[in-house]
Order: sequence, then structure tokens, then C-alpha cells
Amino acid sequence: MKKILLEYANMFAYTFTGLIFGLAFFLLFINFYHMQELAQTVDVSTYNETTKASIEEKIETIRNNINVYNQSTYTGSLNIYGLNTAQAKLQSCLDIIESDTMMHYLELDEIGINDSYNFVIDYKNEILNGCLVMQIKSMFNTDTISTLPNFDLVKPYIDMNVDTMLSADDYVQNNLENSDHYYFTTQANKNNFFNLVSDSYSNTMNNYLNSLDLLVEISNWYRSVVVGG
Amino acid sequence: MKRIFNGLFYGLKFLLLIGAFGLTLFILIRMNLRLEKDIMSILPQFIPFLVLLVLFIINMILKQVGVSKNLFYNLTCCLVFTTIILVGCRAILDTNMVLNAKYGYGIDFNFFDNFLSYIKIMLYGLIIADILFMFREKEKLVEEKSKKKKKA
Repeated sequence: MKKILLEYANMFAYTFTGLIFGLAFFLLFINFYHMQELAQTVDVSTYNETTKASIEEKIETIRNNINVYNQSTYTGSLNIYGLNTAQAKLQSCLDIIESDTMMHYLELDEIGINDSYNFVIDYKNEILNGCLVMQIKSMFNTDTISTLPNFDLVKPYIDMNVDTMLSADDYVQNNLENSDHYYFTTQANKNNFFNLVSDSYSNTMNNYLNSLDLLVEISNWYRSVVVGG
Repeated sequence: MKRIFNGLFYGLKFLLLIGAFGLTLFILIRMNLRLEKDIMSILPQFIPFLVLLVLFIINMILKQVGVSKNLFYNLTCCLVFTTIILVGCRAILDTNMVLNAKYGYGIDFNFFDNFLSYIKIMLYGLIIADILFMFREKEKLVEEKSKKKKKA
């Protein structure tokens, strides 16, 4: 009886060792695999070239629109404090867009997961918070701006768009942050991950372009106000 | 050949155990300092490491051939400790870890934390296997003694 029990003990010992061997082997090699996945880079040179041209075009439009107004030569009847405020706020946004922080992403030929993540963070900090919230939203909450023509029509449109954009990139950031976590790789996960770098980047870039479109719309409104008034 | 490999893995398992223990200790102390928690709270994490070290020392002192000359067991030990070291090194050195860069602590605690349960499972598994192999050794010695007595 004792011998049988000891044989069982021996069998269990080998079983435990085998299971631990399998688990350790799996974890060791999946770590190498995960490491390679994270080191993956994506070529975005062509994509960035076309995007850069589009962004520069939008920047030029905004600049032309806000330069229509000059306080020293303005002879219209509108509140000049309102026009000055709007011009200053739009100029601040333009400075943010043209800053090195945002422009250097357009110069990249290859991006990794960190570039993709940093782009999301910088877009949120600079464009969403620095420009859309601190400049544009606050601009439409000032009394001087509220005296300008069509303010009541433009304000709800701006508020709705800014609110949508503020949360549009959250899931991209969450996805990128979750890539650090270890997971049992399935084919679906793998496909998802391989697209994560480029998809996150292009998604953020699309949101960035949408923000610029909104700024173009605001600057068009500003231009029509100045020229009309 | 088998003896050479066994000797190699036998020596390596001690070194790797110390390395894995040191790395885990370093990461967990840093994690506790960041959370401003009592250092004593991390002690339970090291119980399997210490138990395993004690068992290895017992195997060595008592010359338990069933464990120390078990190539498969020694190889598994090396593999487990190598995995722990690799996970620790990745938590510290892998610059592609997004959260590592985000929080700027120099160690990706989130990543390491995911592996803590696996580390415990593997270490406790090795402890159980070691103890079971010890029984086998004891039985073998008894058998050999009884055979010698019969011959005499």
C-alpha cells in the first residue's frame, strides 16, 4: 500500500513538474513574442505627406481669414473688443497647430507604438484642451463675442462639435494603454494589435483634421462677420 | 551527457533563483515605496522563494539524489526562474511599454503585476514537486538498505 502511494507521489511530482514546465515555457516565449509585437513600426511617410499638405492648406485658410481684420484700419460698426478677442483666440490656436510639438508628427516616416500614443496625448493636450477648450469654448462664453452677428447660430454648433471631439479619442488611448497588459494572444488579438499602431495614428490624425475643419469654419464665420460688418 | 546537463542546470538553478528573487524584491519594494505602503506587506510574496531556497539547501545537504539529479526538475526550475527574470527585466527595460513611459516610474508595475499570480503558481508547483520527489528518494534509500540486508 505504501509503495503504491509512493508511486502515486512520484507520478504527481512529474505531473506537477510537467505542468509548470509547460506554463513557464509558454510564458517565456510569449514574452519574446509580445516584445516583438510592441517593437513593431509602421511606415507612414506617404500618409504623412498627403496629410501635411491638407493641414498646411487649412492653416493658410485660417490665417487668411483672421488677417482680414485689423483694428487700426477697421471702420465697421461691430464691437472691436469682440473682434479683437476672436482674432487673438484664433491666433493662439494657430500658434498651437504650428508648434513643434504638433508639427513634428507630420515629419515622421516610421511610427512605433510610443509615437502613436504620444500623438494621442499631445493631440488631447494641445489641440483639444489648449485650443478647443481654452480658446474656442471660452471665446464663445465671453460677452463681447455674444454681440457679434450670428453668434446664436454658431455657438450651439461649436459646442456640439467640441463636446464630440473631446471624447472621440478616449478609446484609442485606452487601447494603446491596454497593449502593455499581458494577454493570451488569439488570432483576433493579433490582428487587432498589428493594426493598433497605424489605426490609432490615423484615427487621431482624422480627429486632428476634423478639429482643423472646425477651426476653418469658425474662421470663415469670423471673416464673414468682419467683412459683413 | 545527461550528467553534464544536469550539473549545469543544478548550478544554474541556484544562481537564477537568487537573480529572480533579487529582481522581484527590487520591483516590489519600488512598488510599495510608490504606494507608501508598509514594506512588511510584501513579505507574503517572497514566502515561495524562501521555501524553495530552503528546500534546495535541504536537498543539497541531505544529498537527495532524487531531486538534485533529476534533469527534468532542474531544467524546469531554470526555465521558471528565467521567465521571472525576463518578466522583471521587461518591466524595467522595455521602452515600448506605453504605461512605463506614461507614469515615468522606470518600472512598468502594471505589466509585472499581471505576472505575479503566474510566478506564485510556478513557484508553489516547484515546491510541491520537490517535496514529492523527496518522498520518492526516502523510499528508494529504504529499498536499497533492505536489499543490502537481504544480500548480507
